[in-house]
Amino acid sequence: MPGKKGLHIESSGQLCIYCGACVGVCPLNCVYLDETRITFDEKICTRCEVCVKACPVGAIEIG
Amino acid sequence: MVENLTTDVLVIGAGPAGSMTAKWAAKSGARVLLLEKRQEVGSPVRCGEGMSKDWLKEVGIVPSSRWINVEVEGARIFSPSEQVLEINEKHAGNEVGYVVERDAFDKQLAIDAANAGAELMLKTAATGVLKENGKVVGVKAKRFGEPFEIRAPVTIAADGFESQVGRWAGIPTNIAMKDMDSCLQYRMTNVDCDVRYCDFYLGSVAPGGYVWIFPKAEGLANVGIGVQLSQIHDMAAARTYLDAWIAKHPGYSKGKTIDVVGGGVSISPPLKQTAGDGIMVVGDAARMIDPLTGGGIANGCIAGKICGEVAAQAAAAKTPTREFFQAYEKGWRARFEEKLYRNWLAKEKLCTLSDATFDKVVDALQGVKLQKLSVHNILKAVHEKYPDVTREFESFL
Repeated sequence: MPGKKGLHIESSGQLCIYCGACVGVCPLNCVYLDETRITFDEKICTRCEVCVKACPVGAIEIG
Repeated sequence: MVENLTTDVLVIGAGPAGSMTAKWAAKSGARVLLLEKRQEVGSPVRCGEGMSKDWLKEVGIVPSSRWINVEVEGARIFSPSEQVLEINEKHAGNEVGYVVERDAFDKQLAIDAANAGAELMLKTAATGVLKENGKVVGVKAKRFGEPFEIRAPVTIAADGFESQVGRWAGIPTNIAMKDMDSCLQYRMTNVDCDVRYCDFYLGSVAPGGYVWIFPKAEGLANVGIGVQLSQIHDMAAARTYLDAWIAKHPGYSKGKTIDVVGGGVSISPPLKQTAGDGIMVVGDAARMIDPLTGGGIANGCIAGKICGEVAAQAAAAKTPTREFFQAYEKGWRARFEEKLYRNWLAKEKLCTLSDATFDKVVDALQGVKLQKLSVHNILKAVHEKYPDVTREFESFL
C-alpha cells in the first residue's frame, strides 16, 4: 500500500519464510500465521517493532 | 458445512509434544482428537535436528533408521579464536546423540499416536477457544477453510513457539525480548563437516547464541545460528551473522544451500503456569525449551507423556480443572524444571562474556579430563588456570 503508514510485510514470497518468529514474540498477540500468509491486526498493534527484530530474514517493515 | 465434533481430549498441534500427548491420552483410554493446521505432519521442518537419545525409552519412542541420519560421537565447542574443546556424547548433556530427519521423526510420532487410537485431523487450524464460565471447553476451528466447533473437557495447546491457544485461554506465555533467539539455518551440501561431531561456535559470531553445524551425512550439514533479540540491532540479524560466519569458513562457503529454515526459540526461565480450567499447555508453546542449548524435543515429549496421562484421567473423572491438572504441573516440573532454571541462569551469564573470556574458558579446559560436564567441574578447571576469570562466576560456585 504505497503512501499508507502502517505495517508492511514482504510476505509475497520475496523474503518471508513463514517461520512464525514474529507471531510468537508479539506481546499483544496480534500477528497471525496462516500457511502462506502473515497478517497483523492493525487495531491492536502498537508498532513496538519487536517482530521486526525477531524476523530472521528482515521481512517485516514498518512504513 | 463441517459438522461440530466432541471428544474427550483435544490436542492442538501434531509436533512431537502434541503427538506424544495424544498417544499417551489414547493409551490411557481417552477418545483423542489431534489437530494439525498443515496438510502434512512434520513439514516444513523448523529445527536444527540435533537431539539427545537417553530419554527416548522413557516416553516409548523406538529409534529407527527411518528418522536417524547420523549418530554422533560427541560435540566440539569452538571458542572465538577457534580453539576446540571436544566433549564426548556421555558428557555433552542432552543435545548430542542423533542428527535426525525431523519430518520423518514427527510423522513417526503421529503414526504412534494414531496407532494408539487417536484421530488425526489435518488441514485443521484452531482459530479461537470456546469458554463457558471462564473454563475452556474446546476450540473454534477451520477445516479446509470451513468454520466449525470442537468441544472437549480437556484442550491441550501444543501449538509450538508461535502458540496462540494458550494465550487465548488466558495463560500468559509471552516472552521478553531477551528471552528469545531469532534463528536461521541453511542445509548445505558439499561442505567439510565431520559426521562424528555436532559443532558449536561461541562468542561474538552469534551474540547471545551460537552457530551450529549438525552433520546429516558426509558433505551434508545443517548450518545454523541463533542470536538473542536484546543483543542485536539491525533487521535480518540472524541472516547477516550466519552469512558472515559462512563467508569466513572456506569449508562451508564452498557449499551450496538446498534449504532455508527459520524460526524463534524461547530461552526463558520456566513458566509459572502451564494449566488452567479445561486447558494444559505443552512443549515449545509452554516455553519448555532448554534456554542454554535451545533444544526442545526431549522436554516436549517427556512433558507430553505426563500431559496425555493426566488429560485422560481428568476426562474419565470429569474433573478437567486447574486443580486436577496440578498432577501435570508437578509432574513435568519434578522431571526437568530445576534444570531449565539452572541452564537459564548459566545462559544469562554466558551472554555477558567477552570473546577473550570465552577463549580463556575453552583454553583452560584443554587437556583436562572432565568426568562430568557440570558447571562446577568446568569452573574448577578454569579456576586453576585463570583465577581472575572465575571471579565473574562466583555465584555459581
